[in-house]
Amino acid sequence: MNYNFQFGVVWDNYPALLEGAWLTFQLGCIAFGGGAIIGLICAALKTYGPWPIRLLVDSYVVFITNTPALIQIYFLYFGLPEVGVRWSNEACLLIGLTLNAGAYLTLILRAGFLSVRITEIEAGQTLGMSLLQQVRYIIVPHIAKSIYPALANFFIVVLVMGTSVGALIGVDELTGQAINLSSVNYRWLEYFTVVAGMYVVLTFVASIGLALLGRWAFRVKARIF
Amino acid sequence: MERILEQIPRFFSGPNMILLLESAGLTLAMTLMGCLIGFGLAFVLVYLRQTPGLWALPLRLVCILYVEVFRRIPFIVVVYLVLFFIQTVTPNASLFTIAVIAICLYAVAYTADIIRGGLESVPQAQVEAAQAMNLSRLQTNLRIVLPQAWPVIVPPAIAFAVSFIKDTALVSQVGVFELTFRGKELNNQGYSGILVFGTIALCYFLMSFPLSMLGQYLEKRLATPRGQRRSRKIWFT
Repeated sequence: MNYNFQFGVVWDNYPALLEGAWLTFQLGCIAFGGGAIIGLICAALKTYGPWPIRLLVDSYVVFITNTPALIQIYFLYFGLPEVGVRWSNEACLLIGLTLNAGAYLTLILRAGFLSVRITEIEAGQTLGMSLLQQVRYIIVPHIAKSIYPALANFFIVVLVMGTSVGALIGVDELTGQAINLSSVNYRWLEYFTVVAGMYVVLTFVASIGLALLGRWAFRVKARIF
Repeated sequence: MERILEQIPRFFSGPNMILLLESAGLTLAMTLMGCLIGFGLAFVLVYLRQTPGLWALPLRLVCILYVEVFRRIPFIVVVYLVLFFIQTVTPNASLFTIAVIAICLYAVAYTADIIRGGLESVPQAQVEAAQAMNLSRLQTNLRIVLPQAWPVIVPPAIAFAVSFIKDTALVSQVGVFELTFRGKELNNQGYSGILVFGTIALCYFLMSFPLSMLGQYLEKRLATPRGQRRSRKIWFT
């Protein structure tokens, strides 16, 4: 193997890569936030709703979790213009990712809902807690404790696996930038090595931030490693 | 809308269906090979990671680093790295091989954690008892720990493999003729995107759903009595 690594080109273009990383982070946060809202609503409907709504939520979750995110986004990107809906690349990516994350978060949040034991709520009622107090002191800590690690893990999955799909429909996030830049001078190996390193750093920072947040807000010991 | 309806008979013709079936087979083959090889290698990785002693510290660090790094890099980046790396080393490698290698590298990192969790679920006292019987570390793992760890390892490993059927969609980007690639090809031939990608999504669903059902069944079947505790519903009053 005689290949000379030339990292100089990568270094010359670092602002573009940083921009890509920032966009990746933003996309990840928005998709996860939107997904969390969808997930919360769907998990509540699935747990407490009447059966037709439960069936609807179930079919949404089963269909989304059993098909690739890439296909869902391609469907929005290539399919919807035919019926007159035209969204930008970023919008397609974001809507696709949010719907996708929503399905997975429904599963995670529902597990949290089920982890609260009825006896503890009854104990709270015995102590004369109002509904709000029950939510604040019994339900939320319980849910947070049982699903915070899963949520933190899933955020990383959205941030990494989710947003990188955008590169295939021309969104200039980190992977997209790497593809754009390396098709100029064919330094694929160098660009992708650096980008891989940037992903590691990005997610590591996110992991530490989430662990600290969990410890501060919910007294959860989330793992960084 | 009329365009889509008018395309349906042409789209669901024999040759197209054979193409789709072939690429679905390729997707499955790729996932299966990658995950099986990756699963085997992950055992080796976990075994190395558990090597005791100070001299093995660098070895343990490398194993931990491998898992941590690969879990944090998107699959598509791994695919590109493997593609260009392999092509610099041996320009004649087939794309299928490259895809399998990429899946393998990724599967090792993910299944290693599953396997480690399984092995650690076996009570430490059993390992100590095995040591007292003068079993070697390999014997302890193979005869004492592994048989008890299987029920913990298998269901999440299957779940991972199933989820990987979906992730292989990204390999289409380097030109392996799997389902997503065929979808793009058919779309480029002028078939409606809704029709094509709807069908492709259905194909993935048909592969992934039964397997995930199997995974859930196994999880229930193999669960320890402790894990079978029925979850109770809560209601707000």
